[in-house]
Amino acid sequence: MSAVDRWRPTAAHARALIVALVFAIVAVLARRPDVLVLATPFVGAAVWAIVLRPTIVPAVRQSIGHRTVREGDATTWHIHVDDPEGRVETVAALLEAPDWVDRRPLEGQVVVGLHDDGDEGLDVVVRSTRWGRRRIGPALVVTTSAFGAFRWATRNDSQGASLLTLPQTSRFDAAAPPVHVPGLIGVNRSPRQGSGNEFASIRTFQPGDRLRRINWPRSVRTGTLHVSTTWADHDRHVVLLVDALEDVGESEGIDGTASSLDITVRAAGAIAEHYIHAGDRVALLMLGARGVQRVAPASGYRHLRRLLEVMADVQPADAQRDDGRLPRGLGGGALVVMLSPLTSPAALRRAVNIADHGISLLVVDCLPPDITRQDPGDPYVGLAWRIELLKRAREVRRMREAGIAVVPWRGPGSLDVVLRDLQHHAGTRPRRSP
Amino acid sequence: MSEQAFQDSWWLLTRARGVGLLLRILVLVSPLAALVCTRAAGGPAPVVIEFGVVVLTLFCVVLPDSHLGLLVSLLAGVGWLATVDDTTTPWSLAMALTLLVFHTSLAAASVAAPGAAWTAALRRRWLLRCGVLAMACVASWLLVAAVNVYDVAASSALVAAALVVLAVAGLMVRDVTTDGAAGH
Repeated sequence: MSAVDRWRPTAAHARALIVALVFAIVAVLARRPDVLVLATPFVGAAVWAIVLRPTIVPAVRQSIGHRTVREGDATTWHIHVDDPEGRVETVAALLEAPDWVDRRPLEGQVVVGLHDDGDEGLDVVVRSTRWGRRRIGPALVVTTSAFGAFRWATRNDSQGASLLTLPQTSRFDAAAPPVHVPGLIGVNRSPRQGSGNEFASIRTFQPGDRLRRINWPRSVRTGTLHVSTTWADHDRHVVLLVDALEDVGESEGIDGTASSLDITVRAAGAIAEHYIHAGDRVALLMLGARGVQRVAPASGYRHLRRLLEVMADVQPADAQRDDGRLPRGLGGGALVVMLSPLTSPAALRRAVNIADHGISLLVVDCLPPDITRQDPGDPYVGLAWRIELLKRAREVRRMREAGIAVVPWRGPGSLDVVLRDLQHHAGTRPRRSP
Repeated sequence: MSEQAFQDSWWLLTRARGVGLLLRILVLVSPLAALVCTRAAGGPAPVVIEFGVVVLTLFCVVLPDSHLGLLVSLLAGVGWLATVDDTTTPWSLAMALTLLVFHTSLAAASVAAPGAAWTAALRRRWLLRCGVLAMACVASWLLVAAVNVYDVAASSALVAAALVVLAVAGLMVRDVTTDGAAGH
């Protein structure tokens, strides 16, 4: 048994003992029975505490209800205290938490009487207000005996837990038709006719047509072989290019203002969720982030979960790590959705580079709209931002002149017009020579 | 007590609410009430003692889990001893009750953080305990009054026996508290 793993007398118990003894001795020696009256509460508390003195340390277990939550969602930190001896009276706990984690009760402070209340009252509600991976707990658990005379405290670091907070995807929906892609599998109707399920037309038989496509009623009626044609089903391949080179603005979590990286991650999550829900393949490329840089294209909800987990771990790079080369996985008709605050020259260059390769590119502007109001106490900050935004507006205008669609993120439907335009101009944009 | 510990305790104190706040108010008020009892029973205590009690009480509010409460209790007792001559005054009962409130409030304040919300059952348990000890104080005062009424003669043998009992009790308490606390 370690030195800390035992019950220890508290200052309250020492006070009761010493005052009781001193007052009693003085009362006897000085023949002052009134001092005995003064000693009575201390004698009573000391005797009571000794009679109910615990000897066996309780077992404390801590756990978290859910290890993965969405931004703004809450889970519960459970503390279980098993006291075989039954002499633990009060259990107090203090759960510390990192930034972006709210606790209820306030400050994560709880106290219960173990006999009367049980240990259910020790639960602390933990609410994560920003995406990311954080370490929660363990709570400091302090048990005391009668009159707070003996105390045993524990804080087992191995009982901490990692809480992964996925970005709260802003609700996003796009009614625009799919962008031209050459794939022939998926759930979307291709603009081309081919092997698929959806009826397109009936035409005369041509060499090479499959016999099972012959439309016999029409053939019998006309006396000429006809076949039914269908629209090809195609596979939409969406690449999310997340610019994590900079995090501009101040983040106050899900309940307050959002930084550029907040908007970027939440928008990327929303777009990914939309396309995954539609059965498309979605890939993720990180620009300048530490950690995972690329998630290969795939579909399905497990893949969506993987994408969101990678996004939740995004951290801006310490140094600008962008070699300027075209990332792998682009091309082949993919729709590239680049999410960026567009404040970094590297991101702007990257967008132009992608567009120059003839790839359908949609740039989503994730700069916080209230960036110029970030520091009301310092007017020069707002002024500096306005100057910066003027330069940025010039660069964005150049991008638009180069045929790159740039649209600010405004939530549901904000990309519809641009996606429709991309569909309209699909394949018509000439590829530039490098 | 290090400066860091004091700062941490002060920070926690600023978060006090509900029962935690009430306990700290009682910690602050009860020694002052004890001084009032002393004045009522025998006049003002020496200024040094009164000043010491007040200053140490202020620290006790911030640091309930310290030995400053011991000093406050002893100082209040010394002030009583030095000031009051009437051994049967009813103010001794009031004084005992204020010391009871002081000790219990300090002990209760040290079991949980100041911002923690106490459950009703926990409040009842501590109030019940306090009430039982208050009854013991009343019984003790009645016993002292009865001894005075019946005028029990002073006896050297009785004093010696009482000292022996106190010494044995002290040794037993020390053994139980230090060895028994080791746990299993």
